[in-house]
This record gives sequence, C-alpha cells and structure tokens, in this order.
Amino acid sequence: MDVNTKKIIKNAWRVTKERGVTCLRIRVPGGHLEVKYLDLLKEIAEKYGNGTVHLTTRQGFEIPGIQMNKIDEINQMLAPVIQGLEMELGVPVTDETAGYPAAGTRNVAACIGNRVCPFANFDTTKLAGKVEALIYPNDFHVKIAISGCPNDCIKGHLHDIGVMGMVEPVYNQQRCIGCQACVKNCRQVSTGALSFVNYKVRRDPLRCTGCGECVLKCPAAAWTRGKQSYRLVIMGRTGKKNPRLARPFLEWADETVVLQVIKNMYAYIDRHIDRSLPKEHVGYIVDRTGYPVFREEALAGVTLNPEARVAAWMDWSGYRYERTSNMV
Amino acid sequence: MGFALTTEQFDAFLAGLARDYDIYAPKRLAGKGAFSGTDLIAYAPVQSLAEIVFDRKTFYSPKEILLPISQTLFYFTEEAYREPQQQQRPVIIFLRPCDVHAVKRLDQIYLHNGDQADPYYRERREKVKFFVMECTEGFDSCFCVSMGTNRTGEYAVFLRLEADRVLCDARPEFTPALAAYGREAPFTPAFIEQNKISVKTPEKIAPAVYGHPLWSEYDSRCIACGRCNVCCPTCTCFTMQDIFYEDNPRCGERRRVWAGCMIDGFTDLAGGHSFRNKYGERMRFKALHKVYDFKKRFGDHMCVGCGRCDDVCPEYISFSRIINRLAEVSDDE
Amino acid sequence: MNNPYLPVKAKILDIQKQTAIDYTFRLAAGLHVQSGQFVELSIPRVGEAPISVSDFGDGFIEMTIRRVGKLTNVVHELKPGEELFIRGPYGHGFPLEQFRGRHLVVAAGGTGLAPVKSVLNRYYHNPEEVKSLNLLAGFKSPADVLFAAELEKWAQKFSVTVTVDKGDENWTGNVGLITGYVQKLVLSNPAGTQVIVVGPPLMMKFTIREILGLGVPPENIWVSFERKMCCGLGKCGHCKIGDTYVCLDGPVFNYTRAGQLVD
Ligand SMILES: Cc1cc2nc3c(=O)[nH]c(=O)nc-3n(C[C@H](O)[C@H](O)[C@H](O)COP(=O)(O)OP(=O)(O)OC[C@H]3O[C@@H](n4cnc5c(N)ncnc54)[C@H](O)[C@@H]3O)c2cc1C
Ligand code: SF4
Ligand code: SF4
Ligand code: SF4
Ligand code: SF4
Ligand code: SF4
Ligand code: FES
Repeated sequence: MDVNTKKIIKNAWRVTKERGVTCLRIRVPGGHLEVKYLDLLKEIAEKYGNGTVHLTTRQGFEIPGIQMNKIDEINQMLAPVIQGLEMELGVPVTDETAGYPAAGTRNVAACIGNRVCPFANFDTTKLAGKVEALIYPNDFHVKIAISGCPNDCIKGHLHDIGVMGMVEPVYNQQRCIGCQACVKNCRQVSTGALSFVNYKVRRDPLRCTGCGECVLKCPAAAWTRGKQSYRLVIMGRTGKKNPRLARPFLEWADETVVLQVIKNMYAYIDRHIDRSLPKEHVGYIVDRTGYPVFREEALAGVTLNPEARVAAWMDWSGYRYERTSNMV
Repeated sequence: MGFALTTEQFDAFLAGLARDYDIYAPKRLAGKGAFSGTDLIAYAPVQSLAEIVFDRKTFYSPKEILLPISQTLFYFTEEAYREPQQQQRPVIIFLRPCDVHAVKRLDQIYLHNGDQADPYYRERREKVKFFVMECTEGFDSCFCVSMGTNRTGEYAVFLRLEADRVLCDARPEFTPALAAYGREAPFTPAFIEQNKISVKTPEKIAPAVYGHPLWSEYDSRCIACGRCNVCCPTCTCFTMQDIFYEDNPRCGERRRVWAGCMIDGFTDLAGGHSFRNKYGERMRFKALHKVYDFKKRFGDHMCVGCGRCDDVCPEYISFSRIINRLAEVSDDE
Repeated sequence: MNNPYLPVKAKILDIQKQTAIDYTFRLAAGLHVQSGQFVELSIPRVGEAPISVSDFGDGFIEMTIRRVGKLTNVVHELKPGEELFIRGPYGHGFPLEQFRGRHLVVAAGGTGLAPVKSVLNRYYHNPEEVKSLNLLAGFKSPADVLFAAELEKWAQKFSVTVTVDKGDENWTGNVGLITGYVQKLVLSNPAGTQVIVVGPPLMMKFTIREILGLGVPPENIWVSFERKMCCGLGKCGHCKIGDTYVCLDGPVFNYTRAGQLVD
C-alpha cells in the first residue's frame, strides 16, 4: 500500500493507529451548522466508517474507521459540506470535490453566542465565519476560538488567539433607581468596576471588562449597550512543554482591528517560523522573537479604533512540565 | 366625531401637533434591549406614524412621562433653595386603554391620597392628552378584561391603525385639527372583549392568607430584582435622596427616585431593622396591594391587567397565576 | 406652587443631652401640633427623616433625636443658633379627648417615650383632665434613661415606674423588663382605662399582650408605629401596611386597627 501521508493529512485525513484505516475531520466554523449536513455525515459513517462519529473539542466531527482507498470517493461526496460550510462563508476553495484544501489551521471554534446565550455580546458564529474566510485554507498550525463574553466558555484562553465580546455599558443616571443590583453583581461575578456614590453608579473604565452584566441586571434600562468591541487574548496553549493561559493583547478593539491583527499574525508566522521543524506553533515563535516583535508586526498597518488599548508588555504565565521538583 | 386620515395626512397632523405638544408613543429603540442584538420597545418622543409601534407591548409603561424615574424636587444653593423650573410643554401620549386606567391609579395616589396633592405630578398631569390606540387583540399575558380596564372613554383622540390609513374618534378639542388634515368618516372605537388569560380577584382576605404556604414558593423563585415594580404602570413608590455636588459640596439637590417593594431596602429603618425580609412576603405584600388593599382604600383595583410584570420577570413568575391562586386560597380560608 | 415638599427653616434654640446618643432639640417654630404627630426634619444635601414632636409650646417644638445614621449624625453636630429644616406636622396624634376623665396608663420603651412626652407634660400641667395617670418607662440600661429630670418632675404628680433591663452598681431603681411591671399593675376599672403603648416592635407586642390580660379592651389601647417614610404625604408608599398609610392614618393607631396590620 502506498499512501502519501503528508498529502492526506493536509487533506484533513488522519493517519491512525490501525494500518490502512483513516479518519475524516470535518470543520464546522463557529460550531453551528444546519442539520441537513448531519445526514451526509451519517451516510459516510454508516457506509464507509464504523457507524460512529467523534465530537472534537474544536467543534468538528471525526468520522473514524474509513479505509484509505475510499478517500477520493468520499472527498467527492463531501462537496455539499465544503460548499455550505466553507465556500458560502467566502473561503476560497478551487475544487470542492477534492476534499479539504488544508488542515494546519484548525477549525475556528465559538461558544453558542447571542443566538441563544443571554450573556453573549455578539453573534460568535458569524464572526467565526468571517475569521474562517480570512485564514483558511492555511497550513500553519493555528487555533482560534471566539466567545460571546469574558466568561470565555469556548476557552479562548487555551488558544493562540481567543476573541471575547465586549460591550461598553452606557449609563443614563436619569433612569437609575439606585437598586445597586449592577454594583453588587459586578463585584460578585466580574471585576468590581462599579461603585455607588451619591446614590448614583460610577464605573471605573480601567477596571471594567465590558462583560455587559450590568446591562443585564438593570431593571430600569439605566445601563444600555453602547459600542460593541472585542478583547483579544493570545498565545494560550496546552502541549507537552509549557502549557499556559493566554494573556490579553487588545481590549475594546473593533472588528476591523481584530480581523487585521489575525491576518497580520499569519504574515508574522510566515516570516519567523523555523522551517527546519515539522511544525512550529505560533506561541513558540513568539517565545523566540519576543513580544515586542510580535506586537509590532501584528499591528503593522492597523489603525486602532480610539477606544482600543494594547498590552505594553507581557508577563507570560504557565509552567514547565520538566520542573517537577514538587512531585515527591 | 370620526375621521379618516391617510398615513401622510396623519403625519402632517402630528407635525402640526408637535408645535404645541411633546408627543410620546411606543417606539422601537434599536439595540437598546438588555440582550445583545435586541431592541427595546419603550416610550420615546415620536414624529411620525411609522415610528409608533402598534403590534408590541412596551417593556416600560408610559408612567415615566408623568412621573420621571428620577425627579429633582428642589436645588439647594448656599443659603437658599429653589424649585426646578417646570416649564413643561403639554404632552400627548399614545397608549392603550389599560394604560389610561393605570394613569387613573397614579392619580389616586398622587392627587387624592391624603389631603395634599403632589404638585410635581399635578403639573405634568394637567398637561397630558391621551391618544388611545385601539387594542382588540391584546397580547398573551394581558388580563385587562378581568380587571375591567379594557374599555375607556377617556381620550382626546382614539385611533385605529389600518393598512394605509388611520381612523380616529376625536373630542371637540381636536376635531378642527383632524378636519384640517383628514376627512370625516364614521368610526366607533372597539375594545377587546376577551383575553387569553382571565383572573378572579379575591373578595375577602382571611388572616390565614397572610401566612399561607402559597407565598413561600416565591421565597426561592423570586430574586427580588424589582422588574415587576419598575415596569408596572401603577406602581407609585419613591425614595427621597439628598445629594451634594462633588465640585461644590455647598450646593446640592433633593430628588425622588422610583422605589419598589420587591427590592432590598424598601422597608429599612435606621439600626438595621426591616420588614418582609423573605421574598415571598414581598410578593404577598405586592399582590395584595395590587388586587386587594388599593381597592379597599380607593374603590378600584390597582392592577390594570397589562401583564407587563409577567412579560419582564426573569424568573418566569406569572402574576396572573398568583392572583388566581390568591383568589382560590381566599375562597378556601 | 403650593408645595408640601418644601421645608422651612427653624432655628435651634436649645439642645439638651439626654444620653450619649439622644439629644433633645428645641426649635423655633410656630406649628400647630397634636401630641403624637411627627415632622419631616432635614438638612439639605444630607437627608430627611421623620421625627416625632416630643414636646411643643408657644413658638417652639422639641424633638428628641437619636444618633443612628446619615442625617442624625450631622444633626447631632449642630449648635444652638444653627438651623434645621422642617415640614409638617404630619399624621394623627393621640386622641386626648378620649382620655378625658379616664384612667390613663402609658407604657413606653426607650425612645418611645419621645412621642408621649408632650402628653405627659400636658397632664402634668392639667392633672384634672384625667382620673389617674400611671407611667411605666423601660430603658435598656441606666445610661439610656431619657428625660430624667422630667421623670422626677412627673413623679410628683402621678405614678411613675422607671425600670432598666440591666442595672449597674449605681442604679438603685427597678430592674427588669417593662412587661413584668405591666403585669403587676392593679387597675380599678380595666374597661374604663385607656392605655398608650409606644416603643420598639417587640416591646409593644408583649406589652399589649399583658395589657389585654389585665382586662383592658382592645379599643382602649393606643400605639404609635415607626416605619420607613420618605414623604409623610401618602405618596412614597414606604409606610404602607395593607390599606393603611402610617404617615396619614397613623402613626398613632387604635389597637383594633393596629392589631390587624400585617407588614
Ligand atoms: C413616625 C416616626 C417618628 C419617629 N420619631 C423619632 C424620634 O422622635 N426620634 C428619633 O430619634 N427617631 C425617630 N424616628 C426614626 C427616625 O426617622 C430615624 O432614626 C431616621 O430616619 C434615621 O435617619 P438617618 O439618616 O440618621 O439614618 P440612616 O440610617 O442613614 O437612614 C437613611 C434613610 O433611611 C430612612 N429611614 C431610616 N430609618 C427610618 C425610620 N425609622 N423611619 C423612617 N425612615 C427611616 C430615611 O429615609 C433616612 O433618610 C421616627 C420614625 C418615624 C417613622
Ligand atoms: S460591563 Fe461588566 S465589568 Fe464593566 S461595569 Fe458592567 S458588569 Fe462591571
Ligand atoms: S441596576 Fe440599574 S437601576 Fe439599579 S443601581 Fe444599577 S444602574 Fe441603577
Ligand atoms: S420581576 Fe420576578 S424575580 Fe423580579 S422581583 Fe418581580 S417577581 Fe421577583
Ligand atoms: S401588576 Fe402587573 S399586570 Fe397589574 S398593572 Fe402592574 S404590571 Fe400590569
Ligand atoms: S406594589 Fe409595591 S412598589 Fe408598587 S405601589 Fe405597591 S407598594 Fe409601591
Ligand atoms: S411616608 Fe410616604 S406614603 Fe407614608
């Protein structure tokens, strides 16, 4: 049996532990799809696979138990999925009957967002679609996740880029009845950015995370939604060396800025990646170049919206597996 | 007298009125809903018919026009104090029959409870004209028919919106203006005669009802957020606040701000004493105020059955169900 | 605009320190007051609060104010000659007509003595208006005793029993809850006796129980209520209990009504 593993991996097929058997990865940008696609996935799993699918942490499907010699046949069948879930978002695919054009950049995951969740500050699935169109297909190994609010239910903090929705709460003191529901709640679940002074509420804009909880809690619509924007956290990772939570890079950034920065990050990777390695994650590239280089290149040509703030420096968190002197 | 106006004619009529009146109506405030991507239907100034929302109930009631959420009673300067200049222009409010009745409830408290009328309220109240929006379908949570608030004759203009025209019934005060823009046409206002929900109000409350287990359900279900008070067109309570200005502590103001009996602090006395600490007790207090105490004192129920408190409760507590349960246990006791 | 919310200035004529936290303020004010009524007292920019008129006379009113919070803290810092703001008086006072020619018992707990002080002074000056008067005043400790001078003065004309919950080494008077002394009262004609009970909620509850036990009919018992109040005019709703507005219909209630009120 002769199989070009590099080629099939790039085509979103796995080399599995069972010889001659592969597993198909399906991308679902934003983790939300019309159920009609499930019929096709079911058909593939029943006809070619072992009748099961695996739901991945990245909100894709893996269909295991497929013979490698069926790859071309199944790629043909996949055309409607690639059309509906990729090309319709604006992803450039030259031949939709040839399977996925790349697998390095992973599916863009998103929490359920404001299509359902009351806390969400925006439509996460929709933004995931825009990001997908911007960065896919691409071979660089990059993980991006999008959450509707700083709760970060999709765990953007474990991604190379985590996007979280923010909203500027706008206060109308004429409508405030002084119940302090917002003040107490911000202290309990968020950052304690609100205080009650002279029977009215004061917001410390440097503390506020833009979660929008105050808007949700106010019985009188004294808080309403102002400009919606984003926080970008970067270089979170798991892995076998140095796991860490992502750190905030941008706050109160608008959508144009976010998309440009993501695009710029690919150029940065392209410029600095160590091509002698089979693959290098962007976080390790930043470890080599240092944060200032990343910041400069990520913001190259970007006009920041006036409210946006950028991290002046980084104190990366995380730990190293090999430093285990506490294990006795 | 009846009139028919095309949409354009009605807008011209409104534009004419705007010279003398501030005009408030239910309006869609884009993006102002609490949840992202949602709108708030609330009272706001309008200029044209297209801005007026007929097919949705407002989240907040029109009472805020008569009774501002936060109202300065007077300003203090170093030595003297002065009342705010009211200079309130006359106001037209587009509202449904239940909300007209609700204003009558506000009148009871602010004009007729005790021997002194509230001058701030009276000043605004005297300048208000009602433009009643015909309401024959209602909404899922309404129970105005049970509360007897589905009909009203108290309007300056009564209007029905049709596909491309507005039918109006006007009191003499407004007939010349309507005649100037539209043409005469027979029109008899219609009212809703049956809601999806009906309630039975309690006749007599036995002492046992106060401690009835019915209320304890709300100890845990209710979160005391006060939305039901704030959205209610008939809740009238307020708290006094004195403040000084930060940039000049010798000057300040005394104002009043809406209060609600479901919200913490409503009964707080100095020294930490308070009443109705359990949310179920607050619910009992509110429910009895709405459908028992007020009637005992003034002759009408306070609640007008607009159903807003049902619509806005984040914990899906239905006030109409509470009324019916209350009536049931009162019959039993 | 005839505006009942507007307060008027009243000059402080005199301040008497009753206890560490209770001061009596005499203000220059020509109000027409009934015993048991209250005024809304304020300092602009600080706050407003309902305070009973503890006594009144030609051109003055007196209030005995306990230092407990925002407004009262500032009030206690004032000196004679400075000004306070008042509006009122509000509410219904004690039905002195019904007390005429009757036996009267007054049971007061702590600051509850303030709203009845003017009643007691009235009968001190006009003892013939009642058949007898019996005052029972209970305080937490000797340091909390209010109107010490008046208590001595009143004792010359009618029966006065002062008790403290807990004495100290200098206290030679009665010790024990007021309810115990109510229990010991001997009423010659319970049905012909009028009773005033004022004080903290628990004190009132248990005292009334004892009074009823002595055979006094509920319609002869009078109480004064304290609730949060923001207007005194029947508008703000804070003082409402059932269909009753304490500021309008009270603060003095006959027990037949007060006993029915459920907060
Ligand atoms: C009819 C009546 C008569 C009273 N008579 C007296 C008296 O003779 N002497 C005396 O010392 N006190 C009296 N009080 C209690 C007095 O009103 C409070 O102690 C006072 O409001 C405390 O105000 P503060 O700003 O110092 O305290 P804070 O605790 O700072 O109070 C803040 C606010 O809470 C409200 N509030 C707190 N406690 C009360 C209360 N008990 N009643 C009404 N509103 C309250 C007020 O709106 C006040 O502005 C009386 C209360 C009532 C209802
Ligand atoms: S948006 Fe969130 S963090 Fe900011 S003030 Fe509101 S509740 Fe607090
Ligand atoms: S929740 Fe709304 S009404 Fe309450 S204090 Fe906050 S802003 Fe004011
Ligand atoms: S709206 Fe609902 S949860 Fe909030 S106070 Fe009213 S009943 Fe309770
Ligand atoms: S209690 Fe509820 S239904 Fe009744 S008037 Fe108020 S908001 Fe409307
Ligand atoms: S229901 Fe509560 S908030 Fe509403 S008017 Fe009655 S007491 Fe006031
Ligand atoms: S004190 Fe405002 S209603 Fe009684």
